[in-house]
Amino acid sequence: MRLYKKEGNSLQILSSPKDDVEKGDYLLVEDMLVNRKLIAQVIDVQFASVPGLLEELLRDSTTEEQVYGENFDPLGVSSHINHIQDARMLICKIRGTIVNDKLHVNSSWLPCRSKSGITKISFNSLLEHVNGNDGLPINVGETKDGAPLNITAHDLDGRLNIITGKKGTGKSHLSKLLVLGLVDYGATVVVFDLNGEYAGLGFSAEGVDNQYSDRVHVLTPGANFRVSLFQMGLSVILKIMIHALGLPGTSTREFKHIWKSLSQQGRFTLQDLGEAIRRCNCNMHVRDALFSRYHSLVNSGFFTDDEESATDFEKLFEKTKKDGGALVINLKNVSSVDRQIVLEYTLGSLVNLLNLWKIKSVFLFAEEAHLYLRETYWEDIVTRMRHFGLFTNFVTNQPDTIKENIYRQADSIFLFNFTNERDLETVSKAARVDSETVKSIAQELPPHHCLLIGKAVNDFPVMVKVRALDIKTMGQTRLFFTNNQGRSLQSNYAYS
Amino acid sequence: MELSLNSMKNIESNYLQPTETPLNQPATEHIENSTTILGIQHPSAIKTIPLEQSPDEKTVVAVDVSSIGIGETETGMLCAIRGAIVWKEKNKYRYQRIGPFPFHITEENKKEIYKLFRRHSFETSEAPSITNIQARIGNLLERWLQLGISCSAYDTIILWDGSMTAGMADSPVDEVSRLLEIARNRLSTVLAFSKNTTLRFSGHKLTDLAEKAEPPCLLQIDGFPLGSGPVLLLGDVYVAKLTPGVCSFRLDIDRKVPREQGIEAVQSLLGSDLLVQSYPETLRLAHIFSTFTATEVIGIQRFIAHQYGLRIVTRPNVRRLLFGPFGKGAEG
Repeated sequence: MRLYKKEGNSLQILSSPKDDVEKGDYLLVEDMLVNRKLIAQVIDVQFASVPGLLEELLRDSTTEEQVYGENFDPLGVSSHINHIQDARMLICKIRGTIVNDKLHVNSSWLPCRSKSGITKISFNSLLEHVNGNDGLPINVGETKDGAPLNITAHDLDGRLNIITGKKGTGKSHLSKLLVLGLVDYGATVVVFDLNGEYAGLGFSAEGVDNQYSDRVHVLTPGANFRVSLFQMGLSVILKIMIHALGLPGTSTREFKHIWKSLSQQGRFTLQDLGEAIRRCNCNMHVRDALFSRYHSLVNSGFFTDDEESATDFEKLFEKTKKDGGALVINLKNVSSVDRQIVLEYTLGSLVNLLNLWKIKSVFLFAEEAHLYLRETYWEDIVTRMRHFGLFTNFVTNQPDTIKENIYRQADSIFLFNFTNERDLETVSKAARVDSETVKSIAQELPPHHCLLIGKAVNDFPVMVKVRALDIKTMGQTRLFFTNNQGRSLQSNYAYS
Repeated sequence: MELSLNSMKNIESNYLQPTETPLNQPATEHIENSTTILGIQHPSAIKTIPLEQSPDEKTVVAVDVSSIGIGETETGMLCAIRGAIVWKEKNKYRYQRIGPFPFHITEENKKEIYKLFRRHSFETSEAPSITNIQARIGNLLERWLQLGISCSAYDTIILWDGSMTAGMADSPVDEVSRLLEIARNRLSTVLAFSKNTTLRFSGHKLTDLAEKAEPPCLLQIDGFPLGSGPVLLLGDVYVAKLTPGVCSFRLDIDRKVPREQGIEAVQSLLGSDLLVQSYPETLRLAHIFSTFTATEVIGIQRFIAHQYGLRIVTRPNVRRLLFGPFGKGAEG
């Protein structure tokens, strides 16, 4: 390999077809004279622009159609000519410089073109130069050279992460892997499970209990997840009324009065609330508005007057304190209004508990959060709630549903395959990596491979094949045509 | 091949200095360019011979060879040659490429190359310079391929790139006559097409005479001297305008073939091969397959450096150093 060109933080390296270098690989450009090494990542592999190649190809294309023949080349010169034809240009991005075995983010110096040696290096040997926190490892999978790739639980602690990629590429799988990785180290994790995919976390692939079975708590709203009005503070119910049920300002004021007067009387039930609204001496329209919201609460099935069957969030979190655990809020088959009620309640309660230091911190995994989180929550979660100990991981296949300012604040991005230019454009706004890297590598990621960007990999983007998990798969799409049916249909056509 | 290996074996150099502009350097075309200028002052007549496409399809065979300078060493120069034979038979073109063969030519081994020339009757009176030897080796290969075709083809139209002018160092009269005779004996006809000709008539280039002629036709120019000094024209010289367009070519047909048979051969060519701008496709392909592209030159340089352990060194371009952008020619 020979250094050809450097422009800004981009390098072009001439490579022979024999060099086993692919997109995503790291190269070390070593200038012995100044004892400096440049770390560059290959983001694209192109054919070198060799003069005369077009003529060569045109000549060969003539031979493919009506002209055929052979070459008598006893000296074997043609193999060298083919070598030139196949010469490759590696388009690389400079990721840093190693001076005296220490890594610096500096690409301002120019290595010697004729004397520099260029070698491929493994990602793990690259990380040896980085003073990272290597405790609490979570094995994500393996790099292209087959070496295991670990991130640490610290990389997710206090951080905002985004897992994104198109449908069916393995986002939820990685999300589950991270959830269990955190639970392994005693963390409390809350998952907003839109499609009931995480319900199998406590079971092995064969469907029997696994090591997480007593630490994974699946809460299905209306079934084993119901709450009483009494345990709900005014702030939480107001969030539900305003944001989930869209209660106007005047009616909200009236609702506050009603709630406060009921609270002063002690415990109250749903029926008490309904009665209080009916008796309320207010404008007819306000009463109608309050009644319609009241009926929404009742019809959601999420509220109960039976304190025994009501879910005590605080107790649930207490359970996870010792060995860690995951609370999976199963939102499958829950209507969009009810979903918002459940989410407003859950987040409101979480913030209250965090505020009161009843729990230390929570890792939140939100799948397709745009479907249930109001817009103002995004920034609230990312900026304010972070300081309370709510650390969010967004999982989405629609990257444009996440605001640009959130991408800019993301600490790590786990990027799976995207073919759509617009999606890649959105993700490339992440401040931690250049858009060329995102666009070039992500478009060609195979399924179950992701590009890790950001703090989790010390800002050295790396491709990783996500490891398999021995858990029960729940999120598979139900198909109409099974493989056998397909075959029998084909054979019917064949015989008809 | 033997000569190539022998010449390369004796490289006593540590470096290879590639030719400065290999990418713009045209490959040397052989034989054709070595035609001596024959001025025709008083031709008796110019006769137009209209042609008709012959329904009898015949096999057409074309031969071409190219050579190119690859670089210099401490003791000599490096060049490479390649030949191509193309057959047109039953609507299909078949080709055989021979080479490339690299050569290292030095003052020492040029005698050995000479010996080889002698063995093939290409004896020359004076020792050629190193720079001329590249062309000579190319010519040798071309004549050798032409001989092979003459000996193996039967009732075929054989196309040469160049003329039938003999008597020069590269084209001994005996040798060229022998090639034509063998072809004649096997009922084949040799047609030699020259893209460029130095022959002139009343100051005009020979091929310009066909500008107003109705294609397909031949312009027969009588009154050509059979030769001048040692140089002999072994063919009857025509101007061929075989298709509409701006191009016409000097065409030499074996003088010892009856005139009618020669014209019949051209008519057979019209019916047997594709002609674009009056030039036979078979010959065009032979040219394309033998010519070196820039990639190939770099590939050959790599082969030599790799095989013989030479370091590739680029010397500064004196012209560019001295004159900068005011230097003349491709070297700038």
